[in-house]
Amino acid sequence: MNTPPDDPATFTRDSPEGWRLERHSNGRLDLIDAVGRRHQDVDVLRAFPVTAPAGPVAVVAADGGELAWVESLAALPAALKTMLDRELAQREFLPVIERIETVSDTEPTEWAVDTDRGPHRFTVAHADDVARRSDGSVFVTDTFGMRYRIPRVAALDLHSRRLLEKLA
Amino acid sequence: MTTPPSKRPDGDLPALPAGLGLPWLGAVVVAPDETVLAIGRFDLDADLRFSDGWIVLTNKRVIADEPAFAAGGAGRAGGPRSWAIDASTRLDVQLRSAVGRMELSEGDRTVARWLFTPAKAAAIHALEDAFDARLRGPNGLTEPDNLRDVRQPAAAAEAEETEEKPAAAATRGLADDAGGTGGWASWRALFRLISFAKPHAGMAILGGVLSLVSTAAALVPPYLTMPLVDDVLIPRQNGREVPFSLVWWYLGGLLLAALVAWLLSWLQTWTLAWVSERIAAGLRTRTYAHMQSLSLDFFQGKRTGDLMSRVGSDTDKINIFISVNLIDFASNVMLLTLTAAVLIWLNPLLAVLTLVPFPFAFWLIYAVRERLRRGFARGAVAWSDMTSVLADTIPGIRVVKAFAQESREIDRFVTANERVLEANDRVNVVWSFCGPFVSLFSEIGLLVVWACGAWLVFSGSVTVGGLTAFLAYIARFYGRVESMIRMVPATQRAAASAQRILEILDCKPTVAEAARPVSLGRVAGRIEITGVHFRYGAREVLHGIDLVIEPGEMIGLVGTSGSGKSTLANLVCRFYDPSSGSIRVDGVDLRDVDIADYHRNLGCVLQEPFLFFGTVADNITYGRPAAPREKIVEAARAAGAHDFILSQPLAYDSRVGERGSGLSGGERQRLSIARALLVDPRILVLDEATSSVDAETESIIQTAIDRLVTGRTTIAIAHRLSTLRRANRLVVLDAGRIVEMGTHDDLLDADGMYARLYRAQMKAAEEAAAAS
Repeated sequence: MNTPPDDPATFTRDSPEGWRLERHSNGRLDLIDAVGRRHQDVDVLRAFPVTAPAGPVAVVAADGGELAWVESLAALPAALKTMLDRELAQREFLPVIERIETVSDTEPTEWAVDTDRGPHRFTVAHADDVARRSDGSVFVTDTFGMRYRIPRVAALDLHSRRLLEKLA
Repeated sequence: MTTPPSKRPDGDLPALPAGLGLPWLGAVVVAPDETVLAIGRFDLDADLRFSDGWIVLTNKRVIADEPAFAAGGAGRAGGPRSWAIDASTRLDVQLRSAVGRMELSEGDRTVARWLFTPAKAAAIHALEDAFDARLRGPNGLTEPDNLRDVRQPAAAAEAEETEEKPAAAATRGLADDAGGTGGWASWRALFRLISFAKPHAGMAILGGVLSLVSTAAALVPPYLTMPLVDDVLIPRQNGREVPFSLVWWYLGGLLLAALVAWLLSWLQTWTLAWVSERIAAGLRTRTYAHMQSLSLDFFQGKRTGDLMSRVGSDTDKINIFISVNLIDFASNVMLLTLTAAVLIWLNPLLAVLTLVPFPFAFWLIYAVRERLRRGFARGAVAWSDMTSVLADTIPGIRVVKAFAQESREIDRFVTANERVLEANDRVNVVWSFCGPFVSLFSEIGLLVVWACGAWLVFSGSVTVGGLTAFLAYIARFYGRVESMIRMVPATQRAAASAQRILEILDCKPTVAEAARPVSLGRVAGRIEITGVHFRYGAREVLHGIDLVIEPGEMIGLVGTSGSGKSTLANLVCRFYDPSSGSIRVDGVDLRDVDIADYHRNLGCVLQEPFLFFGTVADNITYGRPAAPREKIVEAARAAGAHDFILSQPLAYDSRVGERGSGLSGGERQRLSIARALLVDPRILVLDEATSSVDAETESIIQTAIDRLVTGRTTIAIAHRLSTLRRANRLVVLDAGRIVEMGTHDDLLDADGMYARLYRAQMKAAEEAAAAS
């Protein structure tokens, strides 16, 4: 992955539709649209982060309006794709739960887990926040809206699976 | 005066036609050019006492039994009176309370007044319609119905009772009926449940066979004790040499029999539990699926909690009954039969003594059965009431808290809970008495057999081993009798639950699918509403609506609250069927179309958008679950929802709560517009879609709606007249009738009701602007 030059210049990428993304060294992302207007501090997000993580991506203005829409990252020029992937990875912090140590018995449940980002404790408000998906993965959302992923329940150890079964 | 239109040749009715059920045959003679238009009945006199009477409307007269009030005093008793009518005569019907009033007046003077209860309202309204239609000439729209009423008055009178309100009838069917049908009804209900076992017949039969075998296996051990005592222990005690290995043989046999019985009974229990779980699950699904097939009015008459408790807790009680009690029952019957056979074979005299407590036991069952069933039914109703409190207050929790009524809601729950307690206490007294009572009987029975057995041993006709075995069998025998008696409450509990479920399954949808439904496919969207009347109960809310909406036309329905706008929209959606008249879409009567097929052509945006528990995308695709993602986004964009969806934590995958909590009213409304856009309906119903949001949100929603209505036949209802600016025609309803129709400008020129409403709103808007 090519790293953008750190200082002080910006790093821009053009899209087929004529808009450009510009990345500043301080992490700010600007979008310059087809008519040359600059939108500062835009946000990049996936429209269907759960059901279609590889699906459409939107670039939205700081005030929430949609600026650009990418139906599929795969169709983009490689450089822009890399840049968007990087931005998305940074915005989508989605730790993978590798082992569940304890889950308290009463709701809201207190969780102690091992993730790929290290051990962590969080609170889950309701059993509905533990969402099983048909592909055998599970998404857990904590009280702050942070999400955690378990890619394959069957791959967890018995202890973790038992704890999970209590909930979902 | 116009001669009333008639398909019948004038003059073939020289007297009031026979066969109408009128009591005055021969007393009233109709003139040659006089025709009967309608017949109604009233049932109250001046003192509000029940008193049946008839009213006949002809084109010249009103003929009726003595009214509650008549100008010029009462007529001579008994006979019918008649009042001539002409163009200046008016007939007014009012039904605001339990007493309806029909007044005949000349100018300002009331000539006669009849009183009636809501039960007679349908026929009275028909009479009123016929009265109004008599001047309207050959195209009098209510004509066909009135003729029908006249031709089948007896049938119509019958129908009044049953047909007056489908929902009322349905509600009655589901009444909290604690008593009533008794005796074999409970068994019939349980037998009907057996049909749910059919798909699992194989397993059920296997379970039965296992019961039989395990029962037989359980009978072996006592039989082995007999030779153990008589051939080994007693000879040994009497000093004879017996090899001890024989003891081992018998004990081994006993152990083996116990092991086999245990294994078989394990298999049997598991098999039947498997079957009963599936029966209960099938029952839940059937009940829920049937509820979904029922019309809207079923749900309006029902409390959510009651339905939830029927689908949930009542099916579970049946599950327990089948898995636990039915197995017991089957094996008990078998065991009792087999044990009885063995007992009789061992010693007929002792066997007869054993059976002595039996008549008492049966008498007991007979005595408590009905009481138990009523008690359990009462318990189930109380349980429903308690669930209803929950289903009522939890969604309304904001109102509860806003008015600080928590303690009052707790009190309400406690009251309901106490009723459950009380109902259960009452039935517990009965069934807790049964078990020990039967124990007592079996103890007495045992004593009798002991006494008799001891005497027989003394007289040498029975061996000690024989008596031991006999007593072992009797212990089993009585054990089974006891457990059968204990089953009585369980059966009655299940029967009560079964009846509650069957009540739902037996409800028929009032908006019934046609016998041979016409598949519409994709409609053009021409709607013809012809002579539509609609009654809620006795109250008629639409009095003959005629309206043709061309494909792609947008109609704005305007009128005060209660003028029948929403009712008309509901009829077009076919949530209900009109009481009379017809609604045709592309020339096909809605009553003949495939309902689901028609609803696929229909989009609805309602005042209170309902969002289901699920993601934003799930809610948008509700009407078209297979929609591709591009279409979802497209619909959301068109509805002006795309931007706010992207601002949600998980964009389209964000979850919206049970009622869309976390989203504002305007956002929810835009989601529901996206939902309607995605199904690409041919016919669109907008029921106050923007009335619950602020002006700014309204303008966003309005843009979305403008996109939505393009090219679609649209019926829009709005209080705010400004939202109907794109309507091709405005239809002004007042008290269930169309009073004006035309474009905004036409109606302002006409200076009628619409102009009044419009000016009032403009004034209010100006005042609001001035105030701010």
